[in-house]
Amino acid sequence: MPELTKKPTEYYFKAVKLNQLDDSLQQEIKLKCGVDVETCMECGKCSGGCSNTHIFDITPRQMIKLIKMGREEPLLSMDSLWTCVSCQLCVDRCPSRIDIPRVMDYLREKACQQGIKPTREQVKLFNELMLGSIMKTGRVEESLLAVKFNLKTGNYFKDADLGRQMFFKGKLKAFGPRVKNLKKIRQIFNDTIQKEG
Amino acid sequence: MNVAYFPGCSLQGMASEYDKSTRLVCKHLGINLEEIEDWNCCGATAAHSLNHLLSVSLAARNLDLAKKMGLHLVTAPCAGCYGRLKAASYELKNNSEVAEKVSQIIGTSVPIEPEVKNLLQLLVESIGTPAIAEKVVHPLKGLKLAAYYGCLLTRPNQVTQFDDREMPVSMDLLLQALGAETVNWAHKTECCGGGYAASETDIVIDLGGQILESARAAGADAIVVACPMCQTNLDTRQKAIGAKRGIKYHLPIIYFTQLMGLAFGYTPRQLGFKRLLTEPFSLLKAQGLA
Amino acid sequence: MTEMKTALVIGGGPAGLEAAIKIGQAGHKVILIERTGSLGGTLRKLYSSFPRWENPEDLVNYLAEQIRNSSLITTMTDTTVTAAKKSAQGYQVTLETNGGKSKEIKVGAVIIATGFELFDASAYGEYGYGIFDNIMNSLEFEALLKEWANNKEKISPPKTIAFFKCVGSRDRSKGMPYCSKICCMYTAKQAGLVKELFPQTKCYVFYMDYRAAGREYEEFVRSVIEQKHVRYVRGRPAKVMPEDGRLLIRAEDTLMGLPIEVTADMIVLAAAIIPSQGTREMASLFQTKIDQYGFIDYETNQPLKAGDRVFFAGACGFAVEILGAMEQGAAAAAEVLSLFNQEN
Repeated sequence: MPELTKKPTEYYFKAVKLNQLDDSLQQEIKLKCGVDVETCMECGKCSGGCSNTHIFDITPRQMIKLIKMGREEPLLSMDSLWTCVSCQLCVDRCPSRIDIPRVMDYLREKACQQGIKPTREQVKLFNELMLGSIMKTGRVEESLLAVKFNLKTGNYFKDADLGRQMFFKGKLKAFGPRVKNLKKIRQIFNDTIQKEG
Repeated sequence: MNVAYFPGCSLQGMASEYDKSTRLVCKHLGINLEEIEDWNCCGATAAHSLNHLLSVSLAARNLDLAKKMGLHLVTAPCAGCYGRLKAASYELKNNSEVAEKVSQIIGTSVPIEPEVKNLLQLLVESIGTPAIAEKVVHPLKGLKLAAYYGCLLTRPNQVTQFDDREMPVSMDLLLQALGAETVNWAHKTECCGGGYAASETDIVIDLGGQILESARAAGADAIVVACPMCQTNLDTRQKAIGAKRGIKYHLPIIYFTQLMGLAFGYTPRQLGFKRLLTEPFSLLKAQGLA
Repeated sequence: MTEMKTALVIGGGPAGLEAAIKIGQAGHKVILIERTGSLGGTLRKLYSSFPRWENPEDLVNYLAEQIRNSSLITTMTDTTVTAAKKSAQGYQVTLETNGGKSKEIKVGAVIIATGFELFDASAYGEYGYGIFDNIMNSLEFEALLKEWANNKEKISPPKTIAFFKCVGSRDRSKGMPYCSKICCMYTAKQAGLVKELFPQTKCYVFYMDYRAAGREYEEFVRSVIEQKHVRYVRGRPAKVMPEDGRLLIRAEDTLMGLPIEVTADMIVLAAAIIPSQGTREMASLFQTKIDQYGFIDYETNQPLKAGDRVFFAGACGFAVEILGAMEQGAAAAAEVLSLFNQEN
């Protein structure tokens, strides 16, 4: 069982003046993600079986509720954005098929655009390094990615023993074949960043 | 039968045994895999986590390349790659706004075809377990296996339209066709921690641990996978999980294609069994399979 | 023309029995057919009824006796309808017995009372119904309750039983957005019965809402909670996993916003009420209106009329409790009688 102190976080204890809230966030989610949170029955099936619910500060059900309440600020700074494993359990169990992972992605993307500091910077860093690798070579070079990640986090010897074992198993290769049309890959990156930015 | 083949980055790197066994098994079954020319990374967890449009566009370029090769079917053995390609294909079909943006970005009309199938799906739907059973020369008698599908082969079911989202059976039936026994267990599609192996290792230790424990309790000798991420997490973190839980686990994490190859008469060497960290040979030898 | 003043009642549950009895009492002939070997329908499968803890067998006996005592009612068990042809003032109907013998009859009106089935809970892979032991649906559990009551001393009762409501119901992803209406009540009843038989057994009821709209209903559920100490947990369970020979349930307590786990020895799934196979068949034979889920539907302003000279009663129209089914049976009988009287 999780610590009771871990959640609900402080803002739950302040009276929320419902008639001062607006539904613009709800509309935005509907427009941008095609997800209608109005269909949520608040049954909690998403959160009960969520892979990481025991470490989430805000559960998927609470996330949907906060969207309905238009409370963007706790959503963009929540830890759950950085511990959701995108396992798709919630959407498949939801009686209303609410695509929670898509909403998670959207909120994470928005938090990044607004420069909100992630609660787990190493998760964001790992993903950025991975995107960097794809932009540079068109593919992910796993070994280099691991090395870079360790260098950036200053955790030089993380999984060193494991790395050695994997090296001897031939699992770590420094360079794989790259994409030839790298110009195209870079253009895709530039265009999508422009369109989304 | 000609199928566009998307190996993905892991099969070029850590999971080359999956690539090797996939090619052998498909050839054996008369499936001609044509590697998509100049394919790029599907975008993986990173792209959809940080930039949705990028994730769809990266996947769309691959679909477009396959289409230009004149192929109607794409297969990806990696569940992660399959998930991204399939999700992109679904979105391009169902979201005209995104489809429009993507077609501008990749510079061609959006590829409605080819259809995306995961490798397991391709084998059970296009070849079928009876035909696969006919090719078996070394039945995997005595092996008690936990078929582990992971998250993305069946989910989200509205997109994949493949098997039962929580209690799938196709891999079980396939392994049974090879002569093995499979266990009933509740963690067939629970998550192993996916892409958090490096950045939040504790998540993998926790979630992977639940899967190992469930398979062990169900009496399995090994876990069979269809995803390099699942394989890597359950294999490379097995010692750490055991240490955390105070149980010594010895559950080889084997790709289903490796077992197919074994049953078809290929040698463990040809199938890259020695690349597995949790050694599988004592188990195979005990059943006279190596 | 007396055969055109004969009514056919299809289905021998509480709705059909009540309908047949009322038409017989009013002096008209009835042919009552029942697919199984005995009368009573789902009632026969139940150990007790809500909200008055009555023995359903007493009701079956009470109804069956009236049927037996009526010289106007012909009862045919092990019989089904295999064909129906519309004529000017009724239907020509083919009946077939289990032995394969068929018979043609002419009737002036038809009451369909073919009841319900439970949704197949194995559609929820996450609950493991049909895969792991000791997971059953509510009707299977009623049978178990009967068995327990008969051998109370010999049973070593489960330490913990969990009840899941809304298994199929209120789930549009499974094609059933509707509430099955009676599950809240019978689940409270079943948990209460367990506590009555085995006070040491812990009972947890997982609920989204509990719906107790009816005479004595709210009081009934409260008494199960307050006097029998059945624990209600608000949240729809997400996953069942075998663990050390027991069943681990994962859910969220949605009132607290906390993940919770319950280890149970047995799980009872209140599966959605769906139209029975017989209901689907009769709807098609008599070309009645049906709703989007396959329940027999009514004509505007005529709540029990499903077509020309065809009426319906009980759970073939929608989930309904025992007394409600009987009320509908009586009302459908009134429809038939009114039709027969107009044609004098």
